[in-house]
Amino acid sequence: MDADSDVALDILITNVVCVFRTRCHLNLRKIALEGANVIYKRDVGKVLMKLRKPRITATIWSSGKIICTGATSEEEAKFGARRLARSLQKLGFQVIFTDFKVVNVLAVCNMPFEIRLPEFTKNNRPHASYEPELHPAVCYRIKSLRATLQIFSTGSITVTGPNVKAVAAAVEQVYPFVFESRKEIL
Amino acid sequence: MESVNPVLWETKVLQSKATEDFFRNGVHLPLFTLQLPHSLHQTLQSSTASLLIPAGKTLPTFTTAELGTSNSSANFTFPGYPVHVPAGVTLQTASGYLYKVNVPIMVTQTSGRASILQHPFQQVFQQLGQPSIIQTSIPQLNPWCLQATTEKSQRMETVLQQPVVLRSGTVDRKRLENATGDTLLHPGSQHKIMSEALLSQPENSQYISLSGVVVPPQLSQMDSNVEPVLSVSASMTQNLHGGPLSTGPQGAQHQHTPDVQLRVLKNRMCGCDSVKQPRNTEEPSSLPISKKDSNSQMDLSLQVTDDDINEIIQIDGTGDTASNDEIGSTRDVDENKFLGITDAGDLKVLEEASSISNEDSMANSSDNEDPQVDLVEEDPLNSGDDVSEQDVPDLFDTDNVIVCQYDKIHRSKNKWKFYLKDGIMCFGGRDYVFAKAVGDAEW
Repeated sequence: MDADSDVALDILITNVVCVFRTRCHLNLRKIALEGANVIYKRDVGKVLMKLRKPRITATIWSSGKIICTGATSEEEAKFGARRLARSLQKLGFQVIFTDFKVVNVLAVCNMPFEIRLPEFTKNNRPHASYEPELHPAVCYRIKSLRATLQIFSTGSITVTGPNVKAVAAAVEQVYPFVFESRKEIL
Repeated sequence: MESVNPVLWETKVLQSKATEDFFRNGVHLPLFTLQLPHSLHQTLQSSTASLLIPAGKTLPTFTTAELGTSNSSANFTFPGYPVHVPAGVTLQTASGYLYKVNVPIMVTQTSGRASILQHPFQQVFQQLGQPSIIQTSIPQLNPWCLQATTEKSQRMETVLQQPVVLRSGTVDRKRLENATGDTLLHPGSQHKIMSEALLSQPENSQYISLSGVVVPPQLSQMDSNVEPVLSVSASMTQNLHGGPLSTGPQGAQHQHTPDVQLRVLKNRMCGCDSVKQPRNTEEPSSLPISKKDSNSQMDLSLQVTDDDINEIIQIDGTGDTASNDEIGSTRDVDENKFLGITDAGDLKVLEEASSISNEDSMANSSDNEDPQVDLVEEDPLNSGDDVSEQDVPDLFDTDNVIVCQYDKIHRSKNKWKFYLKDGIMCFGGRDYVFAKAVGDAEW
């Protein structure tokens, strides 16, 4: 009834951002000329390489640091990153797959009810901040988890956190409070 | 990936008719440096469109001292044509050739490929008489020279490969008639030798071999003594300059291949030093030696163009550093990695730059953590069993090619929009030309 967490709430992970290093200098020009599916942004000094299989976009710097975005799970992110490193290796660079780290996970969740945001904000003062003129959602931060939730009046919640576990925990943590301020249909 | 044929798309561009003329003609840079005498310095004005050099120079009599010395008060480069060069100006090309202009010239840039070059090589030998005689003969040849100049304006490299047609059978005869002594014609840069030769060896029979057109856009002209066109070819004569040459040896030289003469020409044009060699030797046997020099010189110059196109050094990324705390430990590994990179050619410059930045951290970190802290070196990537070959490498192996310029290429997520212009399409075996093209694609 009240705080029934995990009411089979499906949390959909929409984006996983990860980084890894190749431990070797990368010649961006060579990648741009010889690699497939690359976009060379010479003005900012990076190469974007897009993969189809795990649909990811990787931003490659000449220092060997690579940021991988667009994966839908942590596993997929790692898989895609390895594939990317492999393709760089095939281009001739002495790539070593190191320092893989998931940096950010973005997930959405839908509550089966609508939420009264002003009331919610009043009840959750330190964590929640609401500025309707700027943004229509309440920004709820959980410091311990380093997670941020954006709660909309429709009941849709967007969560970003350092990993999937933190995201799930954040939703669980917020659910009771959100449930309190729900808009009940009479 | 394209690793199978890394530059497949490049070959497609090269093969396309859109770039037919562009790459085949070697260097595309119409850049050259003008070294003008001091007197012209302040009056020079240059514009992007054309360069007009005020005519105020009389025909100077150059001496050995003058040549190669500080004529260069004004060095500038400009990108465009046409160029109007008055008489009496020494021009130096970007590649170092010196040309002395004796008659006013208007240099324009042609399409790059003169049909003249296709003609078979012709050798014309001319006997050059006393300076006085030569000078009198100048006016006769001037119009022809000027003509040849403008028509033959090409890049140097192409010139080397394609001997120029000497159009004047009539001129030859004239020369022969006029010549009484044996003096050799020199290219403008070598005029000092020329003057020496003229003065010292009036007996020499002088032959002008127009082995190749080395007429860069600036046009090279002979000294006051010789017609401009003749100077172009005078390369060959340079060798002969050394001593009194009978028609015998010259005739033998006559038989030399065009290539040899071209090389010789190049040699002559290149530098004063090389000139001295034949000058000292009084025998035709000096020829082989000088030729060798010229060979190497020519090779070098020819290669320059290729290098220019392909060798663009990456200038970004040298200052890149790792942002996390493990810089110290990783530097050791980095050093090794730098050396191990296969693409050593391009990265040598970067290696030096980065090694400088690495020095400090290297010293510090050597005591600290071992490279193993590098963590989970993660299993070697060639457990790339899972890593599939992805797209077929023959993605570019198609006959439908568009070579064009772009106005804008836009992408939203995986939707691409192309706004192209001025292109040639080879599609379904047929060629199409367009001024504008718009395309949509999904990736």
